[in-house]
Amino acid sequence: MPEDDDERRSGRMDRVVRDLLAGKRLKIGPGDARDRDSIRAAAALAGAREPFPRMSQAFRRRLAGRLAPAGEPGLLSRRSALVAGLAAAVGGVTGAGVFRVLDMLKPPLANPHLGSPTVFPAVKWYDAGPLSAFKQDVPVRFQAGAVGSYLVRKGDTVVGLSSVCTHLPCELNWMSSAHQLNCPCHNVTFDTDGFQITGPEAYPLPPLPRLQVRLTPTGRVQVGAT
Amino acid sequence: MPEQGPHRPGELIEFPAADVPAAQIALDELDLIYAFLYARVGNRADAEDLTQQVAMKAIPRLRAEAAAASIRAYLFATARTALAGFWARKFGLPEDELDDDLAAPAAAASPWPETGEAAERVNRILGALPANYRRVLELRFLRGYSLKEVAAETGNTVGGIKVMQLRALRAAAKVDPDA
Repeated sequence: MPEDDDERRSGRMDRVVRDLLAGKRLKIGPGDARDRDSIRAAAALAGAREPFPRMSQAFRRRLAGRLAPAGEPGLLSRRSALVAGLAAAVGGVTGAGVFRVLDMLKPPLANPHLGSPTVFPAVKWYDAGPLSAFKQDVPVRFQAGAVGSYLVRKGDTVVGLSSVCTHLPCELNWMSSAHQLNCPCHNVTFDTDGFQITGPEAYPLPPLPRLQVRLTPTGRVQVGAT
Repeated sequence: MPEQGPHRPGELIEFPAADVPAAQIALDELDLIYAFLYARVGNRADAEDLTQQVAMKAIPRLRAEAAAASIRAYLFATARTALAGFWARKFGLPEDELDDDLAAPAAAASPWPETGEAAERVNRILGALPANYRRVLELRFLRGYSLKEVAAETGNTVGGIKVMQLRALRAAAKVDPDA
């Protein structure tokens, strides 16, 4: 009877769905092959709950370690070296008066949180409009290629912050009334320098990663990303 | 880089310098690969395994001077192959029975993680379903309701909702979100 068969298979399917909704690995086998299309549809629906998934920092580090040839520093180290190299290169250009670097690798002076922010490499540069369009200390959401960001004007400089929470990979929202960035997933908040204000009581969170930002001679803000 | 007139906000104005190594570009592109895979397997652990598989396979084979566009295309091609292998292993089937991801055009695969198209694809799938199926899947997947909560919300039994969920997923699997 197809109805009986559906009842049996619905139990199995619901276990797959429950695992997916709990963020667990897919536990399926050849016995599920008859429902393969439905299972893949369930996986796609579960995947859509996170519209902008990003690799976690821990996975990034593991991956970089796996990719590094034996005896060489990991790719993260090389990436940092590349970022530093780019910073130096752009700094050199600054001397020539072509670009002014606004926010580079400078760590904050007082940092009560977990270390200095990491900095995205600037593989490509994206135009973010004129500096005059930015209000002081009011973050503006900007998509720099694959990297979501908030750009915050601080005097004549602009700070580029990742728009993804360092707790769970959720997109932050700007709450103008409270003057803070808020993570809707677990109500974590960050200030406009990317440092945690409130959040999980048990442990502090790393600051939001930074994007490199520069200003052209004609006053346009450019954001480095991938 | 000399500035070449005004740009539109968000416009890409400078491509990677020629001396940026291909492996570095590929590493930066892996976020897109991860998003592509996550949207298909629906969980972090499997998406990470597959992303690592793609990275280990593709990055050592890149030509040092490869252009960013061709690196991205190669990574996505490798990701689609890895995904087909993943499903084939899980279900114990030959890969050619699960080759729709292999057949997906590269152009459609690459930009969507940046534009939220994964959510749009799901909306198109849900929009093509009968109202009762759509309701069950929306409550279960997008709002995270338990079966019991869905049953209470829709006035059905838990067993009835469980079967409806199976049938709704079957119907969802038949919708072509790119049509």
